[in-house]
Order: sequence, then structure tokens, then C-alpha cells
Amino acid sequence: MANIKVDGQEIEVPDHYTLMQACEEAGAEVPRFCYHERLSVAGNCRMCLVEVKGGPPKPAASCAMSVRDLRPGPNGEAPEVFTNTPMVKKAREGVMEFLLINHPLDCPICDQAGECDLQDQAMAYGVDSSRYQENKRAVEDKYIGPLVKTIMTRCIHCTRCVRFTTEVAGISELGLIGRGEDAEITTYLEQAMTSELQGNVIDLCPVGALTSKPYEFTARPWELNKTESIDVMDAVGSNIRVDSRGREVMRIMPRINEAVNEEWISDKTRFIWDGLKSQRLDKPYVKKSKKLQAASWNDAFAAVSRAVKKTSADKIGAIAGDLAGVEEMFALKGIMEQLGVNNLDCRPAGSALEPSKGRASYILNAGIAGIEDADAILIVGSNPRKEAAIVNARIRKAWRASGVPIAVVGDQDDLKFDYEYLGKGVESLAAVAAGDVEFAKTLANAERPMIIVGEGALTGTAGKDVLALASSIAKGSGALSADWNGFAVLHNAAARVGGLDVGFVPAKGGLDRAGMDKAAAGGDLDVVFLLGADDIDMEAYKDAFVVYIGSHGDVGAHAADVILPGVTYTEKSATYVNTAGLVQQTTRAVFGPGDAKEDWAILRALSAHLGEALPYDNLNQLRGALYAQHPHFADIEAPAQEDAKAIEKLAKVPAKIKKAALSTPINDFYLTNPIARASAVMAECSQLAAGGVNEAAE
Amino acid sequence: MKQLFAEIFIWWHGQTMGTRLFTALNGKFVGEDDAGNKYYVSKKDPKKRWVTYNGPAEASAIQAGWHGWMHGRTDVPPTEQNYQAKAWEKPHHENLTGTAAAYRPKGSLLEDGKRPNVTGDYDAWSPE
Repeated sequence: MANIKVDGQEIEVPDHYTLMQACEEAGAEVPRFCYHERLSVAGNCRMCLVEVKGGPPKPAASCAMSVRDLRPGPNGEAPEVFTNTPMVKKAREGVMEFLLINHPLDCPICDQAGECDLQDQAMAYGVDSSRYQENKRAVEDKYIGPLVKTIMTRCIHCTRCVRFTTEVAGISELGLIGRGEDAEITTYLEQAMTSELQGNVIDLCPVGALTSKPYEFTARPWELNKTESIDVMDAVGSNIRVDSRGREVMRIMPRINEAVNEEWISDKTRFIWDGLKSQRLDKPYVKKSKKLQAASWNDAFAAVSRAVKKTSADKIGAIAGDLAGVEEMFALKGIMEQLGVNNLDCRPAGSALEPSKGRASYILNAGIAGIEDADAILIVGSNPRKEAAIVNARIRKAWRASGVPIAVVGDQDDLKFDYEYLGKGVESLAAVAAGDVEFAKTLANAERPMIIVGEGALTGTAGKDVLALASSIAKGSGALSADWNGFAVLHNAAARVGGLDVGFVPAKGGLDRAGMDKAAAGGDLDVVFLLGADDIDMEAYKDAFVVYIGSHGDVGAHAADVILPGVTYTEKSATYVNTAGLVQQTTRAVFGPGDAKEDWAILRALSAHLGEALPYDNLNQLRGALYAQHPHFADIEAPAQEDAKAIEKLAKVPAKIKKAALSTPINDFYLTNPIARASAVMAECSQLAAGGVNEAAE
Repeated sequence: MKQLFAEIFIWWHGQTMGTRLFTALNGKFVGEDDAGNKYYVSKKDPKKRWVTYNGPAEASAIQAGWHGWMHGRTDVPPTEQNYQAKAWEKPHHENLTGTAAAYRPKGSLLEDGKRPNVTGDYDAWSPE
């Protein structure tokens, strides 16, 4: 710790602090453009100048000078820093004047206006006139992809975007070339950036040089309603802010949550919003004479009730999809219990995870922030870059900070960090479990090893084996100690952990998804309820009566006999549990389109038609019932602490190793759910990623 | 001949028989514009000028070049001016207000076109 005096006030700060951090600690605000907490220090904008007593007689850049660089006074007094002297004000005004030499005065037509750092700080340090007669510098706009729009004349060369892409995203596609007045930020090759985190440069850019292309000229920040919510595009549960105007979502921004997404969000999270307004189900449909026809809610409920009454409980099934909230799964499970139906599943892909084996067996126990504490990581059958881009950024952060050894069993993809490749199949995993490979020793020697198992690896015939092998590796390498649980399941859908928590799995004697497929194809399943489940083989349910509850007209809606229009995550308050078992709630930002209703309300109304009404009439009563049965849902944002014994019980090396390749189930990062498939922006990104479109702007 | 019948039976649309007679007796033909409107000046009084419209009587149908002459702003009719229209000049047409061809903004109930998207619009899925 070191003592330092800021503006006359003496404080104690850790001696690795920079002057800027020390000033903030003392409550003095320091303006900055290039400095960012999560990026390396560049020190090139010079806006954060402060006066240092006893130092050289010139202002010092507070972001790049550390507290321990300062010398104490002659009698051992604490070094002194000033942030509000006339010298500091004059120095910052000088910097601002230089920045504004070439910055265009186009705030009225700039998308950044209203949330622009330069605009804000010019209020404090700008001068009211210009001393320059010369023309302003003009810079050609660059094409860097369909998501980020560039107006390079506005760039002030803070290089935040360059540092973000190289350090966090791990792509070296953006750089600064030239020097002095000729300096330019460019991709040089005029190619689209290839990162799935590239949208974050829009937030990082302190001016309007990098702005959102899909959002351009659509709204002003001060006319938007900001709603804090949770993302459901992947199982990370990124904290987001939904900006809406009237009944329309205009854009999605990240919120800071150190335990989940820090302050980054993936491109799918950020640019999904145009999918929220296309292909929407806005009225109930009932199939009459082989054609879906618009119907009233009562007719739709009556049709479902007729179909249910015609058959018996063992011929009814329910499958929950990737975007379902906990409340609606709880409500649907309630209906199924009343009907005596045992065929339930919330794992459309058919993974081997089961709530009966303990909660620790299906979550990322150490938490997403815990990845940074790991000192050896084994990734099994997962491509975290596609399944959870934010988790991949965490692994990269850990790898950059400490060089943690990482090994991969599964697909050999570019993950933006170096890893040891151990093989593709289950046998390679068995070799690690048996200690036959070098990396097994690394894991055994590590104090906090982490085994990340992708949900995709747990599906298929070898799913149970992979779970057993991964558990035994975790047990054998000491990942299950009292203060560290390194067993981590990386899910790829927002609904999954919540579904497992609420017990949306086959009851005793019930069929799972694969079983229901077979039964439906064989004519033994008459009615199936799909709660937003689109990623299943609809061909099997051709002869069954399909009730689809969802928000978008995707595969499920096309195969349905009755469509009950639900709403998306921005249009309801729902609980989601992320892959680390963190319970979070979305907030309603806008209302659903047309006649669409919140999913739990649809199910509550349907229950009255099917017989006995569910015992709750509003969301609070539903939550009361939910918390009574599953108390942990009430602990919103509380990190999960689960008993590692559940994993030890699973640890068993199977006698016969099945030969099966472990690979990620996600082929296309941009098109993983019905909302993304309805989005034109996502379609363009997907095409670009596949190498379809490869042209520059003009 | 058709014009003659029109003047007898639907005289309220344009030139009447009286005008025809008056023009034949007193008028001196000056010229005709691109739309076929004919301009006359009185034989006795050169300040007295009139037009017979090709089609319904509509004052705004007088073309820009003839407008000055008709209103006595100039005594030189366009036929003597040899004016060449610029490439960017659109052909003259009359004021369409009050007719079926009148301008209607996008989204007007009288215009069958679709209005531009506004906040809250969405594309609904349909089974087809």
C-alpha cells in the first residue's frame, strides 16, 4: 500500500495502482479517451493529464504513471497529485483543442451524439472557437463488415478498437497505420472482421467513428427507454440493456456483470433485434382441412382440449425448447402433472444430463469468472467460441494472463488461444482418464484444474460415457476439492439449466425426446406440446397432434396443428438460469405483437380448458408456487454452490469405450435459434462467415 | 366535328359556342402551345388576349412561356422568342389538385401504396 495525496486529500491505495485509479479512489474525476479498464494502457490521447508535485514541471498522463513511480517529499510526505489546478485545466484544454482540429462538427448527423465521450468532455474542456483556418483532415471510410459502420474522419486514434480486437477478441485484423496526421485505423485488406465479439468496438469507440450499422440513423439515445434484462441467445446469460422506443426494440447494449459477461456481449446478442420483428406469430392458428387458419384463443384452446380428451395420458408428450423461461416450463410441467403425463423433456438434443444426479452434475460449477482461477483447462467436445463466445473470451483472458495450459478433445477449431490437441473421440478422453497422455499429469499437478464439457459431447450414444469419463477425470485430478469444483458443463441454450432445475425431464416410466420421436413415428404418441422447440426432427411428429407455443414461425410452427402465439425474451419477465447455475430474470421492455400472450399466461388459460386450472392467476403467484417447490430460484444472481459429491458418484470409467467423435452441435454461430433465423442481419453474417459474400462496401 | 358536338352538349367543360363565334369574328390567331391550347388576340385591341383550351378549361394548363404573354407581362409571344427548353426542364402540366391524379402522401388512405414502416411494426408469420 502507498499513501498519496489527491487534491489535498490523503488516501491509501495499493502501490500497483495508476495515478488515474488513485484519483478515482479519492473521488476526483479524470477525463480520458484511450484508457479503458479492461484493455492495456496506451497513453496516447493525453486527456488524463494531472499535475504532480515534485515531479518534472510538466503535466503527467495519469493513466500511464503508477503510484509507486512518484517520489515522496523531502521529509517523507506522501507524494501529491492535483486534478483541478489551472495548469491541469489548461493542459486538458490544449489536448482537447488538438483533438478538435480534425474532428468534424457533424454531431447533428452522428449516431454517437448524446452518448459521445468527446461531446461530453468538450463541455468541460472545449473552447468555444477554433484558431485554425486550414481545412480539416478527411479520411476514407473503411469496410469492416456488415455490423460495424465506420466514419473514419471522426476517429481520434485512441486505439481502443485495435487493443480490443487483439487482446480480447484475439483477431489481429484491425490496426493503426501511418503516423501523425496520416495515422488511420484500418483493416488494410478491407475485409470484414471475423470475430463474434466485434460489436463491442462500437461501445468502446469514444466518438462516432465506429457505430452500429443496423442501428444507423434509426433512433437517438435520449428517446429510448432503457430496460435492464438478460440475454437468451446462449447459455451465458449475458446482462443486457434493451433500448426500446414505443413498441419496438431499437438496439441491445451490454451491462456490466463481472460474474458473467464483464462488459462484452457477442454479436448474436447485440444484433438480434431485427429478428424480434419478423416472422412473428401474432394470432392463434388451428389446422382445419389440412391448412392452418387463424382462430380465436378460445377456438385454439378448444381444439387442444378436444385432442387431449380423445387420447390417454401415456400418449401425450411435452418438449421444451432452447429459449423457454423457467416460469413457462414450470407451468407446462404443472399441466402435464395434472393430466398424469410422464413424457417430458427439456433436452431437445438429448443429452445425458439429469437433475436426479444432483445439480452439480450439470452446471459450470466454478462460475464463468472462476475460469480465470483455473490453472489447467480441459475442453471436451465443445467449441466455446460458437457455443458461448463470452466464455471463450474468458478462457482467452485466463490464457493471456497466466498462460494456463489448455487441452481440447473434440473438434480442432481456431479458438483464439493455444491448446494441446488430444484427439477427436471418446477414446482420447478415456486416455486422459487413464493417465496415458502427458496432459493428464498437467491436470493432476494443477491445484485448480477445470474440465469443461460441452453439452454436445453429452448427446448421442456415448453421452453417458463422456459424462462418466469427465467426472472421473475431475475426481482423479483433484478438481473436486472443498474449495474448488472444476467440473463444468457448458450448455448451449439459455433454457437448459432452468429446465433441468425445474425437473422438466421424463417422470418415472416416461419417455425422453428420443423415445417420444420413436413413439410418435410408430403412432404411439397422439399429442405433443412444443414449448418453443424447433430444433427437433418434425418428420417424426407428422401424424401426432402438435401444439406449438412459441414466438416465431419456424420449423415448429410449420409442423403444428395448433399454434399458440407466445412472446420473446424482451417481451416478458421470465427467469433464466445460465450455464453456471446463476438465476437471473429478464424484464419486459416492450409488449408482444398482436394477440400474442406471455407463455405462462397461455398455459394457465389452457389448463382451465383441459380440466383443472393451475393454482395461480398472476406472475407473482406463479413465482410463489415455483419458489415453494424450488427455493433456489428465489436467490436471484446468487452464485451457485453445489455439492461436488454428485459428480464423484458419476465418476466411473465405462468398461467398453464406444467409438464416437465429440463435436460441437453448432454449425452456424449466427443461426442457432428461431429469433436468429428470422433476423436479416444474422443471415448476412452467417453468409459472410460461410464465405458466401466477400465484397467491399462499394 | 367532335369538338363541335362537345361545345353543344357539354359546353360547361371548355370553350362555348359564344366563344367560338367571338373568336371567329374578333380574334387573330397568335400561336399554339405543346398541349394544343390556342392563343388569340383581339383584332381591335392588342391588349385583349384569350386562350381556347385543348380539353377542359383549366387556367393552370397555360404553359410557362405563354403565361407572361397572356397576362400582359410581355408583348412578345413564345412563338417569336425561339426559346430552347433546357435538358432539366420537365414538360409543363396543369395543377392536378382536386382530380383523381392529385398528389397523396405515402400512407394516405386514398393511395393504395403501403405506408413506410414506423415504430412498432412487425412482419407477421403466415402459414403460406
